[in-house]
Amino acid sequence: MTSEASQTPKLDRRSLILGAVFLVGGAAALTRFSRGSASESEAGPVFSSDQFALLEQLSEEIIPATDTPGAIGAGVPEFIRQLLGDWGSSETRALIVGVLESVEKQAWSRHGAGFLELPGERRLTLIRAVDEESIARQDIAWSRFKQLVLLGYYHSEIGATHELRYELVPGAWRSCLPLTEVGRASAA
Amino acid sequence: MDFDAIVIGSGMTGGWVAKELCERGLKTLIIERGRQIQHRADYLDFAPPWEVPNRGMVAEDEKAEHYAIQSNNYAFNAATKQWFVRDSEHPYTTPSGRPYTWIRGYHLGGRSITWGRLSYRLSDYDFNANKLDGHGVDWPIRYADLSPWYDRVERFIGVSGATEGLEQLPDGQFLPPMGLTCVESAFKAKVEADHPTRRVTVGRCAHLTEPSPEHIALGRGPCQLRNVCERGCGYGAYFSSLSGTLPAAKKTGNLTIVTDAIVERLDYDHAKRRVSGVRVIDAKTKQGRSYQARVVFLCASTIGSAQVLLNSRSEYFPNGLANRSDAVGRYLMDHVVGIGAVGTHPGFLDRYYYGRRPTGFYLPRYINITENEGVDFVRGFGFQGHSSRSSWRRAINEAGVGADLKNRLREPGRWEVRLIGFGEMLPRADNRVTLGERKDQWGIPLPHIDVTHGENERRIAERANRDAAQMLAAAGFENITSNGSIRPPGHSVHEMGSARMGRDPATSVLNRHNQAHDVANLFITDGSCMSSSGTVNPSLTFMALSARAANYAADLMGSGEI
Repeated sequence: MTSEASQTPKLDRRSLILGAVFLVGGAAALTRFSRGSASESEAGPVFSSDQFALLEQLSEEIIPATDTPGAIGAGVPEFIRQLLGDWGSSETRALIVGVLESVEKQAWSRHGAGFLELPGERRLTLIRAVDEESIARQDIAWSRFKQLVLLGYYHSEIGATHELRYELVPGAWRSCLPLTEVGRASAA
Repeated sequence: MDFDAIVIGSGMTGGWVAKELCERGLKTLIIERGRQIQHRADYLDFAPPWEVPNRGMVAEDEKAEHYAIQSNNYAFNAATKQWFVRDSEHPYTTPSGRPYTWIRGYHLGGRSITWGRLSYRLSDYDFNANKLDGHGVDWPIRYADLSPWYDRVERFIGVSGATEGLEQLPDGQFLPPMGLTCVESAFKAKVEADHPTRRVTVGRCAHLTEPSPEHIALGRGPCQLRNVCERGCGYGAYFSSLSGTLPAAKKTGNLTIVTDAIVERLDYDHAKRRVSGVRVIDAKTKQGRSYQARVVFLCASTIGSAQVLLNSRSEYFPNGLANRSDAVGRYLMDHVVGIGAVGTHPGFLDRYYYGRRPTGFYLPRYINITENEGVDFVRGFGFQGHSSRSSWRRAINEAGVGADLKNRLREPGRWEVRLIGFGEMLPRADNRVTLGERKDQWGIPLPHIDVTHGENERRIAERANRDAAQMLAAAGFENITSNGSIRPPGHSVHEMGSARMGRDPATSVLNRHNQAHDVANLFITDGSCMSSSGTVNPSLTFMALSARAANYAADLMGSGEI
């Protein structure tokens, strides 16, 4: 299992690099960010490295590390990258890349900086607003993205067995018992 | 003769026929159109969620290109797709605007691997129904004819369930029942208090809650409450051909199995009035060959068996073998599904469960049995039910992110109860499978399936939706939604009726022993034999009919009659 601490330096490095790009490039950096689009995914990677960095941080905002690892610790960004390569249609890939692009645009329009440049509190505020608005208007792309993050987390080994409860072989059916005896929700 | 008996198909019914014939000392050949499967070794049941390819989701492009129809089935996922045909390789046709969902798998064991395992007996309400209301032909048997065979099948496959003493849902030989959840018990108490003749009971399912020595001798063990049954069960805890009947048949030393052999047609010898040979095409090489035996059992599934009969035309049977009545392919039925209701309960938040029970509860038919007033249709419906506390998936469409979300999802969500209606479908002559002009890659004409629901089915659906919502509301459920729309026929994967049993050779294909009226050595025991559909899951009945017919055939062979 990857611990939260070992992830932090990597994030900081990415944030720094991206921050520098956006500082220098501004709007031009946004254009650059949008490359690695879905149409290229047949031949190339699903996400550009910038997009992947954003995906990492966005997933972690949705499912942060607390007393258990968060999305990054559970490998959610890698899962989504692999999934969109092996499972997703080009439409779905475009949908998910579109979510990343939209979040980045919102960061610029609301806070005047790229998502990864924002201080942690701002990032959470922004994502909370995006989430509330998207759910309210039943935005399919956002729900799809959120589904992948949640699936990636709660059906990972960490999410299923550390955060929630999962037994590969329960061995028994206890049909009615106090929740306190189980403790937490079942992952599957 | 190569064999005493040939059984076409290795699924639910073929497995049973083969077991019974082999145990009667008859050299038996199973011809399976699909591939060989190794029990246990070919299952993905020990993969936890994070090890299942793409967390269980079948690649979107692959699904659209190859599984457009099969993916409609609830059991279809990345860990089970090997049990479903590729629609792209196994097409069939339907009239424009009249879809039919034909769900199937071509492999040893057939759909006995993916079945829902619910095991309910028909009753005399069902066996008398056609005669009483005039829809369909009278069943040539009654409950008493089948009851001992239900006993035999239940003991062998192992059925967990509770005895209830209901006339419309006869009790059987049950292993200990699985318990109801707290919410189900409360729902049961309320429904039974409000409606004295309605009953809620735990699902009767083909799972070993307490294996018998006979089960253990076949290598089967107790259910581990994993609920990944449709992947195949390495414990052999639920019944399939692979866990039960085929191993039992093999033990006799009388069984031969050929796989990848597609039956093209049956040859008919008019002088002897017998099937004289079974012609097959090798699925891989496309080479033809044929097999001979004294008796032939067609267990190729309701639509598959009709296809074989219709393709077996001869001078004496110009409309297809054993089809003097023109009933072959007609009277195709399924169960009416897509109906019922779902609701959430605000209470019981301190209650939960442990384990993943591989079944739900059942609310058997009451309409036109104990409740007849104001009913504007014949027959009725039953409900399968499920309860669970909603999982992390509830967050997909709910606002919330961050540590708050994570903490909230540590607790299970509200209790949700789903009532899933299964309505009886009437046998109608124009609901039928015929052979089309197009052929498959082996040169066999494709089935053309033309089935619609009628007014009676629509009224059943309306009433089932209404009753489900009412019972949930009365029991304190909220957010109740009724599906309201019937799914296309075929959806319940309970197809029946295309070679029905009956008393009169002029209007039916099979006699009371599942023997073709016109061909003494031909028996058909899959769902095609059903004269009516009833409201319960039909596999248990198919198996009981198969065991009964196989023993009858063995008797006839013993006395030299066939």
